Amino acid sequence: MTVAQRPAAPSRATGLIELRHITKVFPPNTLALDDVSVTFQPGEIHALVGENGAGKSTLMKVLYGLEAATAGEVRLGGRPVRFRGPGDAIARGLGMVHQEILLVDEYTVWENVVLGAEPVAGPLGQLNTTLALRAVQAKIAAFGLDLDPAARAGDLSVAARQKVEILKLLYRDVSVLILDEPTAVLAPQEVPQLFAELRRLRAGGQTILFISHHLDEVLTLCDQVTVLRRGRHVATRAAAGLGKPELARLMVGRDVVFTSRRSPHPPGGVVFSADALTVRAPSAGGRAAGRERLRDVSLSVRAGEIVGVAGVEGNGQFELVGALMGLLPAAAGRVRVNGRDLTHASILERRRHLAFVAQDRGRMGASLAAPIRDNAIMTHHRLNPALTAWRGWLLRPAAVGRFVDELRERYAVTMRAAGAPFRSLSGGNQQKVILGRELLLDRPFILLDQPTRGLDVGSTEYVHDQILQLRARDRAVLLVSADLEELFRLADRIAVMHRGRIVADLPTDETTLAAVGYLMLEGRPAAG
Amino acid sequence: MRIFIGLITGTLASATPILLAALGGAFTYYAGLFNIAMEGMLLVGAFCAVLGAYFFQSWLAGVLCAVLGATALALLFILFAIVLKTDEFVTGIALNLFAVGATTYLLRQIFDVKGSLSDPRLPAIPAVTIPLLHDVPVLGAVVSGQNLMVYAAGLATVISAYLIFGTRFGLRLRAAGHNAASLETSGVSAARVRVWALLACGVLCGLGGAFLSLGYVRLFAENMSAGRGWISLAAIILVNGNPWGLAVIALLFGFSDGLGLLLQSAQIPSQFTGMVPYLATLLALSVYATRRAKARPA
Repeated sequence: MTVAQRPAAPSRATGLIELRHITKVFPPNTLALDDVSVTFQPGEIHALVGENGAGKSTLMKVLYGLEAATAGEVRLGGRPVRFRGPGDAIARGLGMVHQEILLVDEYTVWENVVLGAEPVAGPLGQLNTTLALRAVQAKIAAFGLDLDPAARAGDLSVAARQKVEILKLLYRDVSVLILDEPTAVLAPQEVPQLFAELRRLRAGGQTILFISHHLDEVLTLCDQVTVLRRGRHVATRAAAGLGKPELARLMVGRDVVFTSRRSPHPPGGVVFSADALTVRAPSAGGRAAGRERLRDVSLSVRAGEIVGVAGVEGNGQFELVGALMGLLPAAAGRVRVNGRDLTHASILERRRHLAFVAQDRGRMGASLAAPIRDNAIMTHHRLNPALTAWRGWLLRPAAVGRFVDELRERYAVTMRAAGAPFRSLSGGNQQKVILGRELLLDRPFILLDQPTRGLDVGSTEYVHDQILQLRARDRAVLLVSADLEELFRLADRIAVMHRGRIVADLPTDETTLAAVGYLMLEGRPAAG
Repeated sequence: MRIFIGLITGTLASATPILLAALGGAFTYYAGLFNIAMEGMLLVGAFCAVLGAYFFQSWLAGVLCAVLGATALALLFILFAIVLKTDEFVTGIALNLFAVGATTYLLRQIFDVKGSLSDPRLPAIPAVTIPLLHDVPVLGAVVSGQNLMVYAAGLATVISAYLIFGTRFGLRLRAAGHNAASLETSGVSAARVRVWALLACGVLCGLGGAFLSLGYVRLFAENMSAGRGWISLAAIILVNGNPWGLAVIALLFGFSDGLGLLLQSAQIPSQFTGMVPYLATLLALSVYATRRAKARPA
């Protein structure tokens, strides 16, 4: 089949797999998928692309039976189906390889492959080793996978382990393989081999659904590309004839001009600076030194300035935040706030100079089980002498009460009792407590990691207002966000991260959404 | 020569309950459960064996009751640790303490005796005479004429090794211990595999307990398992649950136990000879520790 001749319009005849009007709402009100309809033809490699949170994985989980759709239906060969779990899906010929590879390290390749579907004989269920080995070998030969069935899974490379996961599904006779960002765990030189194997699988009649956000991969490997954005289906196109810039534009959105919410405000002197900051991954099992997760990152933020950090998740933002907060050790480089070197300072010492809103409200930002009161005074209880007595050994309940009242009033938190568990608050109010707590520290530098993730429109607006007020009060703000629109609305400059580096540091007014989107995905500016 | 044969018979007899309990624990060890309830299961097995044998006047009924009783304890373990997901270690401690309390209480309530119950009407698990072999000098006295449960323990070793390493059940059992998530994604419930492992543990500990009170001796005494469940746990950790290894460890332990009895007859105070098995355990553990330290790269 020649893909290029296919009509680009998504109104094609019924194929093997149809997803019709799939809507998925995560309680209470996060719309992950909004009326998505896609059709996958048998025997094609079909890419699902989109930014983080676009809904690619959720859509595949709905198809695979891991998530139940709120509305819509899945059809296989024209008939509606409803999978209650992966077991159902596999029985109907659909298999999914997750990013996380789950093999029994102590077992051989063939033992891993047959586990759960073992050929047996006799009343006690004796393993038919010969038959199992032969069946596994036959599959390896049929699909030209370069694997030794007798090798121990724990001794294999990540790429080979991934192949074992694929083999496991082939052994169960699936005809549709769903691969969730399979290249994310591979070294660059391993990718071409995977692609060659996937092409052979396609030649063998397999349908492959390939989740990715790497444009090059998608365009070199796939026949069809479906683009999702914010839970909506944007386009399904033939990969042939589709250019990288066009695909990038489809992924990040039209070139809308955002109404910037910033008023002109000349920035002051440099408050925060990171110079050539490098963070290594922890070395695995004492073997080699870990890979560099953050490489030579230099950034500065001036007083009254908001600097945005953009990037596809997993390109070093986590390590940047970790290194600034003292959660990950810096292998090289310097971190300074108002000239004070904080590179190797303790976390408590850092907290004297910076405020921090963590990405994960329930884990790092707060303790969900602890009372609202305790969450509100965290950090303050160590640094604010007014809250404590006896050299910090005892809390003053009256002072704590006043502090919580102040926070509640200044940041408009709706809560019933300060003693109620933090989890009883709505997401927006949780974030108000965390933001209020951090802003009451009144530090010159504020580090915000995805401060509006998972918030509704009203709460997002509120957080944005607070960030702009910080700018008006000459604070330096570093805003890490996966939401480009947010960055364009708020940031004075946008630094783009790609594979642990900062590949661009642009004034927001002199760039476009499409240009930043391309940088995020490709690590270099679009040609021309 | 009499001493030699006596030593071997003593070795086999004291190895048997430890081996049976250790084999039971091996199943749960491979399934990735931290199960320390063998001690309690042995004790409940021993008590139920006497109960069944006394009321039905049959050693077979005693063995069946022992298996049922120990399995009931295993079911409690399943209810708490697997269904209600309580901590396995705490569950094990609770069940062991419960076993001591319950058997002591029931002994006093049902038989109205304190300390121990021995009754001449209590039927014993019979010894088995192997025809022909029995008449061979020396060998016959060692291989033939042992208690039925001694042979059962040997058979259980073979069957356990086969089940764990040669069957579908064994492949899934070990997968549950190595990487339960991998087993789950392969479409097999790890919890179900663990339930089977615990039931196997209950059955084997029940047999071990029955031997304690109807074979090794013919009486029930409060807390008569006397740490054998713990020794079996040490053995499991020592050989990573391998059934053949367990048999060797159990025999070593049985031998030092028998040696202790022998030394006792040589005028050495029983308090010292009673330490021999435990000193042997410590010695084995230290050998194991040095071996592991050497195996590990510096």
